[in-house]
Amino acid sequence: MNLQLLVSGIAMGFIYAMVSMGMVLIFRAVNIVNFAQGEFLMFGGYLCYMFNRQLHLPIVPALLLAALAMGVVGVIFMFTSYWPLRNAQIRAIVVSAMGASIVFKEGARLIWGSIPVTVDRVVKGTAVIANTAVVQWQNIAIIGISFILILFVYLLLERTFIGHIMQATAQDRYMASLVGIPVVFSIALTFALSAMLTGIGGGLLAPLFFLNNTMGYTTNAKAFAAVVIGGFGSVPGAVIGGLLVGLIEAFGGAYISTTYQLVIIYVVLVFFLMFRPQGIFGTRIQEKA
Amino acid sequence: MKNGTVAKDRPVLSLSKVSKRFGGVVAANEVTFDLYAGEVFGLIGPNGAGKTTLINLITGVTPADEGEITLQGRNITQLPTHTRAKLGIVRTFQHPRILDRCDVYTNLAVGADLAGRRRVSSRNGREDRLEQLLDLAGLTEINLNDSIDKLSYGQQKLLEVVRAMLSQPLVLLLDEPAAGLNRAEMDHVVKLIKLATQENIAVLLIEHAMDLVMNNCHRVTVLNFGQQIATGTPEEVQSDPEVIRAYLGGAAHAAR
Amino acid sequence: MERAYRRLDPKRVVFTALLLAVCLSIPRLTDSYMLRVFNIAWITCLCVLSNYVLLGMCGQNSFAQAGLWGVGAYITANVVMKLGWPPLLALLLAGLGTGLLAFVLGFAFFRLRHYYFTFASVGLMTILNGLFMNWTPFTGGALGISNVPSFSLGSFVVNTEEANYFFIFLIFVIAYLLIKKLYHSPLGRSFMAIRDNEMAANCLGINSLLTKSIAFGITGILCGVAGALYAFLAGYLSYQTFTYQQSTMYLIMVMLGGTSAPSGAVIGTMIISLLQEWVRPLQNYMQFFYGLGIVLLMIVQPEGILGGGRALYEKWHSRKRPASTVAK
Repeated sequence: MNLQLLVSGIAMGFIYAMVSMGMVLIFRAVNIVNFAQGEFLMFGGYLCYMFNRQLHLPIVPALLLAALAMGVVGVIFMFTSYWPLRNAQIRAIVVSAMGASIVFKEGARLIWGSIPVTVDRVVKGTAVIANTAVVQWQNIAIIGISFILILFVYLLLERTFIGHIMQATAQDRYMASLVGIPVVFSIALTFALSAMLTGIGGGLLAPLFFLNNTMGYTTNAKAFAAVVIGGFGSVPGAVIGGLLVGLIEAFGGAYISTTYQLVIIYVVLVFFLMFRPQGIFGTRIQEKA
Repeated sequence: MKNGTVAKDRPVLSLSKVSKRFGGVVAANEVTFDLYAGEVFGLIGPNGAGKTTLINLITGVTPADEGEITLQGRNITQLPTHTRAKLGIVRTFQHPRILDRCDVYTNLAVGADLAGRRRVSSRNGREDRLEQLLDLAGLTEINLNDSIDKLSYGQQKLLEVVRAMLSQPLVLLLDEPAAGLNRAEMDHVVKLIKLATQENIAVLLIEHAMDLVMNNCHRVTVLNFGQQIATGTPEEVQSDPEVIRAYLGGAAHAAR
Repeated sequence: MERAYRRLDPKRVVFTALLLAVCLSIPRLTDSYMLRVFNIAWITCLCVLSNYVLLGMCGQNSFAQAGLWGVGAYITANVVMKLGWPPLLALLLAGLGTGLLAFVLGFAFFRLRHYYFTFASVGLMTILNGLFMNWTPFTGGALGISNVPSFSLGSFVVNTEEANYFFIFLIFVIAYLLIKKLYHSPLGRSFMAIRDNEMAANCLGINSLLTKSIAFGITGILCGVAGALYAFLAGYLSYQTFTYQQSTMYLIMVMLGGTSAPSGAVIGTMIISLLQEWVRPLQNYMQFFYGLGIVLLMIVQPEGILGGGRALYEKWHSRKRPASTVAK
């Protein structure tokens, strides 16, 4: 087992886990697959670049500010691309999210240009593990920070009052409004949380891979695969799916072919769809009789 | 209508000990009956008795746990819904399931298409067939090119019966065709049922409007918690003490 | 049961004739660069029409169209260049081969309901694009295939931009008329029945799995033919053409035009294809506003231009004769 590959695979897996968890949060809240989730990662990365490299803040406050800004972006996204369409057909919302992803992509290009950029590492240097594997500290940092954030969001959903409000809204919006839950607020909060979680991923990823404004699509594609493999609508499923995709990518790239990376992921996805469409954790989407 | 003699030789559709459970709830427990061509067979019972479930079992929308359903001697218990439809089992729904983004014509034509798929379209070939049905349904005034949502709820329910009739079924399953309809529309339902019996179609009628059931059904079976508690002519069933206790006792006042 | 015979509406006839005249005179009105744009646009129309059949009629959302388009193009290139068979045969094989592929895959994919087909189609798109990029013997790999010969039938060679225009337009018109015909056929109705109410459709003897697979097969045929036309026209095939982004473009086009009639697909395709050319000087900002426009359009009129037009028409008509709108 190649330890180096394992660590970088898990680190990438945690990044994907953050994106796919963000996707699942939105799916559970409003029953829509957000086709612009990958753009949150890209945009969050760029915002981090702005605070870190353009405004010369240290990386940790830059990450925090980027996350906060992404929260605002998430709310704006929700009010412009989802909320006006909440009663329209799903396909209209899908297309509107696609339009929004073009806006993100082109907006980032217009603001920051199309030259790839990077940000500072949270922890610099490399570590030698088990005498053989050279691992970048940033990878370890990604694993640690992502794990804490994912756990934090999970606990927020499961254990706190606000999480319960969000879950109630997700399950039955009408009932939620009847018992006095401010539905708009709850959905906006979900979008904000989702965008923040995914956006931080961009800031963490940037030192390893340069940021560019077109990275949203591939990220989205991988997160999407992760969500389906993990089980649609399941938060633990999204995390496990993300990790799996990260590992498949790392090992598939090393042992099979880097050009086939995405193909391998999607072959696994189609395999899952054929033989276990509910994914690892999910329950089958039931059809109403 | 009831005086028409019904051929008792060979049933079109027969259910033998058909059972269905949803978790702990017994929706159908060893339900057994035969349906003959040209007869109207009533299926009554209080809400939640398992009447619609029974139609779902016959059409295959929900698979049966146990028992056997045969159509003209052929075991159809394992067949998928669309195959059963092609064999001649056609239903309507309690709440009309219309094609809500299509025009009236398309909604009707899918019924005629089924007859085409079943290769029994001879009757539809007659030009006045659609007119005859629309006339009986009281829908002659509607424009076939209109969007379906211009029709009222009652019109949509009648349209669904017409759609089913256009497919020229062997067995017609009507799930509360008169619920939510006004007096005049109810009369149209009766006219359509009458035509069905004239055309030798076996009709299974679920209905809460008691006069409709009592006046039009040849035989009736009463379902309560998935259990058949009585079967017989409307008169027999009406006087069955268990039925009165389970169902008519509560609903007799409501029967208009 | 046949729809009551409707007399040809003279207004409609004049309108169609005018439209046809405009379409046929485009080669006279534009330079060869713009003509290429139009040629690509008509080819794109075929792919977007397939979206009309699959999404508009059958209610199934796929992101695999650009991949199927590529399959058609690569089949054509291989049949013509490696086997040396006549282009007409290649065109037919591209259509049928891609259609068969889609039909068979449809059988596998449509066992899954709802979202899952869309997921699977994204997967298919990604896998196909990966194959185009890497399967060198069939696709030329990253270098692609160049010098695909033009379409020819006997001694008649379609090698000028103008000849290509009429050839492509002819194929488009045939496809368009067939789809119009499909709309009024039992098969087309079974698509719509599945879209509107799958359970009712099943109870009316419609086999969901088979019918949806047929719809996906038709999608395959249309995209395959479009791929063949593209191969003949462009002469060069690259994996970078047949991408997921292209598929999303098709979806945007059909949604812009509206999914209630095939003309919506054509309107959407033409608007976006031409818009992209006309605003090329402003490219730097245009993509941004293009995205913004899509979001705005979905908010203002999620039913697309056709839906908006219909709403306006009905408003105007109900004002003209307010009493007779609802038949009793």
